[in-house]
Amino acid sequence: MRPDGAPRVLSLFVPALPMQRALRGRSARGPLAVVDQGCVVHCTAPARAAGVRPGDSLVQARAACAGLAAVPLDRAGDRAALEALAEAMLALSPAVEIAPPDALHLDAGTGRGVDAEEERRLAERALALARALGWRGRVAVADGKGPSLALARYGAEALVRVAPGEATRALARLPLQALELPAAMAERLAAVGVGDAGALARLPPETLAHRFGPAGAAAARLARGEDPRPLVPFAPETFPEEAWDLEGTDVGVLSSAEPLLFAVKRLADRVAARLAGRGLGASRLRLTLVLDPRGEERLLVPLARPGADAAAWLVPLRERLGVLRLPAPVRGLKLSVVEAAEVPAEQLAAGDRPEVLRALEVVLSRLAARLGEGALFAAEPADRHRPEAAYRPAPFREDAARVGAGKEGVVASRGARRNGAANGGAAPGLDAAPLAVRPTRLLEPPHPVVAEGEGGRLTALRVDGSAHGVLALAGPERLAGEWWSDPFDRDYYRIRLRDLGDLWIFRDGRDGRLWLHGFFD
Amino acid sequence: MVAASRQEELLERLRQQIRRLERRPARREGFLPTGRPEVDALLPGGGFPRGALTGLAGGPASGKTRLALTALREAQAEGGLAAFVDGCGELYPPAAVDLGVDLARLLIVRPGAPARRTEAERAPEPLPGLWAAEALLASGAFAAVAIDVSLGRLPAVRAEAALRRLRAAAEKGGAAGLWLGSADAPRVPAFLRLDLDALARRAPGRAAGAAPDGWTEGGHAA
Repeated sequence: MRPDGAPRVLSLFVPALPMQRALRGRSARGPLAVVDQGCVVHCTAPARAAGVRPGDSLVQARAACAGLAAVPLDRAGDRAALEALAEAMLALSPAVEIAPPDALHLDAGTGRGVDAEEERRLAERALALARALGWRGRVAVADGKGPSLALARYGAEALVRVAPGEATRALARLPLQALELPAAMAERLAAVGVGDAGALARLPPETLAHRFGPAGAAAARLARGEDPRPLVPFAPETFPEEAWDLEGTDVGVLSSAEPLLFAVKRLADRVAARLAGRGLGASRLRLTLVLDPRGEERLLVPLARPGADAAAWLVPLRERLGVLRLPAPVRGLKLSVVEAAEVPAEQLAAGDRPEVLRALEVVLSRLAARLGEGALFAAEPADRHRPEAAYRPAPFREDAARVGAGKEGVVASRGARRNGAANGGAAPGLDAAPLAVRPTRLLEPPHPVVAEGEGGRLTALRVDGSAHGVLALAGPERLAGEWWSDPFDRDYYRIRLRDLGDLWIFRDGRDGRLWLHGFFD
Repeated sequence: MVAASRQEELLERLRQQIRRLERRPARREGFLPTGRPEVDALLPGGGFPRGALTGLAGGPASGKTRLALTALREAQAEGGLAAFVDGCGELYPPAAVDLGVDLARLLIVRPGAPARRTEAERAPEPLPGLWAAEALLASGAFAAVAIDVSLGRLPAVRAEAALRRLRAAAEKGGAAGLWLGSADAPRVPAFLRLDLDALARRAPGRAAGAAPDGWTEGGHAA
């Protein structure tokens, strides 16, 4: 019987993972074998039809099938693929354990108040997610890791769910190898007529423990569906990255933007699924295009806001790929997350318009990708007396779209500027109003202007070679400071010129020259 | 039986259309107040038309930027977002604060700072500001977009085509597009064009261009 509170585990088994990995991105289904140390480990159906069998030597296999293509077994690559799948599965379960070489265990609950429908839905979602990432899998939900993995590997169907306490009966029909017994033990059991897990479960546990030691005791427990071992959760250490080597696939090399975008979409879907599993969103991506025969092109793509939505990533990626002029065809791609942040749960307040937020995200991503991040910003007041430094660029945040956002910022910014302005030099008797406002346009750097006058009275100002009569003048407003770094000392005037309008000029205290610094446009 | 399945099919198609429509921001219509009642009183509709381009033409200190900023403030006051495509790099945000613009909700686009590009990426288009303005106007995310982009030495035919695209983008996105141009700039295919002259402003009983209160007549202070 199943003890109360035993972990419910969903095991996802990826049959012939090395072969599936070799076939990812290939649509050709010719005879292919995965080979390790000169022996066939896995082979495709056409190879099998030609007489190739796992365990054959490569020479034997080639003799049976002349057109057999062989790829070497890559354990590190298979492990990385399994980790990537585990990362994506984190979206479905709080804990995922990697069971090398070809399976994962997902925490499906503690077993109290088990909901059969919920477990089945979880299993279906796990299968669907694996399929979306390009894997064909089998799943089983049962009590404990051992029983669920045995059922996933050897169960009659691709999705098996065993009710709590029913594992013994479900396992009974499975062959002995489903329990992954040590080879010597399996042989001895087979020799005495123990052919399946049910026969093993019927043997007295004490006898098995006496005959085979701890391994025998463990086998007896497993055959009876008892496996209280907790999951060992997998914690990814790096940001996800997906690559696709187009060589040897039907896709071949790519040389135009549209097919390239299709290939990028495939990678983006995988990377986004992995990132979403960790509750993270990418804020910066790097797309590496491997060129044929050599060289590579790297594109750093900033995103308007952290997210794990592949469709949103494709907007700036399309912008960048659209203006790409590649010197050579592309034979491989790699999409990596360079920066990521936690994605807060979206809570829409009353008045929020999701369609506007979405449209904003898209247009900001396009602009940032095409013009660069520095080209778009929201200005933020800075507490500096120097006019050209009185504001600084700040990121334009998407939540600015929320109704009422930023109101406090206005009040604060006004206060900051008012307090920051050194309005110490206004002429006595002059209304400060004309000086309090700032020009709508600032020229950076300032343009030199020449004063024309009679008897110490300014009558005209020569701007860009043309003289304009002075109609009125307000000032000066002295702005000075920053003696510790780049000192400045300026007397600012607002001056009204005939045929031109209101200008903001200053007299530089260091040399007395006049400069046009802005327009009250 | 067949009729029922057809009806179900039709309903599903309609549902899909509704979903597609719902993903697009609702199109804005009507007029956006300029923020200056005396100007509103002069304009047909009482403001700048939404979903269209309005030309604000005038000299370097004619008041066109100020009028654009007050209109952007009105767009923000209605709960919308505003953008300023600052192709000339001259917009001075502290002045916008003085006019009541919420800087946190004003997107400033200065296309002069190009993205870091690799050799394989083509040089940016001659007027990235126009491209940015088109993207903003068509996005549907912004209620008002001010565009201060010099057409420079762009051939007249290309300039005209670019401006027509801007007008179409404004129609698509429903934003009020405000094109800031100099008095002698080529005509903009706009719904409305305002020619501004700073010195024509006059208070009752005061000559045009005369000094207002708080000012010194002539220039003896300098």
